[in-house]
Amino acid sequence: MAKTILAVDDSSSLRQMVAFSLKAAGYVVLEAVDGQDGLDKAKLQPVDLVLTDQNMPRMDGLTLIKLLRALPTYEKTPILMLTTESSDEMKQKGRAAGANGWLVKPFDPQRLIEVVRKVIG
Amino acid sequence: MARKKILGSHVKRLMSGVSEHGKRHLTEVEIDLMQTELLLEEAIGKLTGSFLAIDRAVGSRQQIIDLLLGGGEPSADERARLVRMAGEVGEHVNAAITSMQFQDMTSQLIERTLKRVSGLREFLGTLGAHGADVLPESGSEEIVELLGKVSMALAIQSLELRSVLRKSVNQQHLESGEIELF
Repeated sequence: MAKTILAVDDSSSLRQMVAFSLKAAGYVVLEAVDGQDGLDKAKLQPVDLVLTDQNMPRMDGLTLIKLLRALPTYEKTPILMLTTESSDEMKQKGRAAGANGWLVKPFDPQRLIEVVRKVIG
Repeated sequence: MARKKILGSHVKRLMSGVSEHGKRHLTEVEIDLMQTELLLEEAIGKLTGSFLAIDRAVGSRQQIIDLLLGGGEPSADERARLVRMAGEVGEHVNAAITSMQFQDMTSQLIERTLKRVSGLREFLGTLGAHGADVLPESGSEEIVELLGKVSMALAIQSLELRSVLRKSVNQQHLESGEIELF
C-alpha cells in the first residue's frame, strides 16, 4: 500500500511541485495550506511522513511539529522541515521541536525522493 | 541657555534617530529588491533553458514516433536515443521544478519589503501626528516634553518593526538547498 505524505506549505505552487514530485515516485500526497490546516488534516488521517514549511500564517512549522509530537499517533512519525531557513539556530529549534530532518529550499525533486525513501521507504 | 541646550539636544537626537532609522530600512529594501531581481533573473534564465531543452527532446521523440507511424524502422542510434529521452526529459523537468520555486522565495522577500515600507509609513505618520501637536506659541519646555514623547513613540515603533522583519530567505541562487537528517 502506498505511503502517505502530508505536505504543509502556504505557497500553492510549492505544494503543487512537492505533490508532483512525490506522486511520480508512487506516494500519496495530502496538502495543507498552513500549520493549523496541517494539524487538522493530520488528526483526521494518520500519515506516514509530514513535510512542512516553517513560515506560514496562522501556525508556523515549529509549532505544528510540537503539537504533532504531543499526539500519541505522531510521536514517532517522521517529520521533515522544507523551508527557506538555513541558519543553524533554526535547525537547532527544529531538532528540539521534534523534526527528523531539515531540507533547504529550493528542493531538487530527485533528492527529495531519495530522502523520503530513506526515511519511510 | 540650559533650556536651549536641552531643546537643541532633543531636536538633534530626534533628527539623527529618524535619519538613521530611515537609512537603515531603505538600505534593507535595496538589498531585498536586488536579491529578488537576482532570483527572478536566474529563474527566467533556467526556466527558459529547461523549456527549450524539453521542447527539443519532445521534438526528437516525435520524429521517431512519426517514423514508426509511417511504418519505418528506427536505426540503432534512434532506438538508443528514444530510450535516453525519457531520462533526459525527466532531468529537465526536475531542473524546471527547482527553478519554479523562485516564486516562494521572491514572494517572501517582497512581503518583507512591503512590511518594512508600511512600517516606515507608520513611523513617518507618528512623526507627523506629533508635529501637529506643536503650536506656534508652544514654549520650549512644552516642545522638549513633546520631543521626548515622540522619540519614545518612534523608538517603540522601530523595535516593533524590527521584530517582524526577520530575514528568512538568504538564497542568492536557485541551486538545490542542503539536506540534513538529524
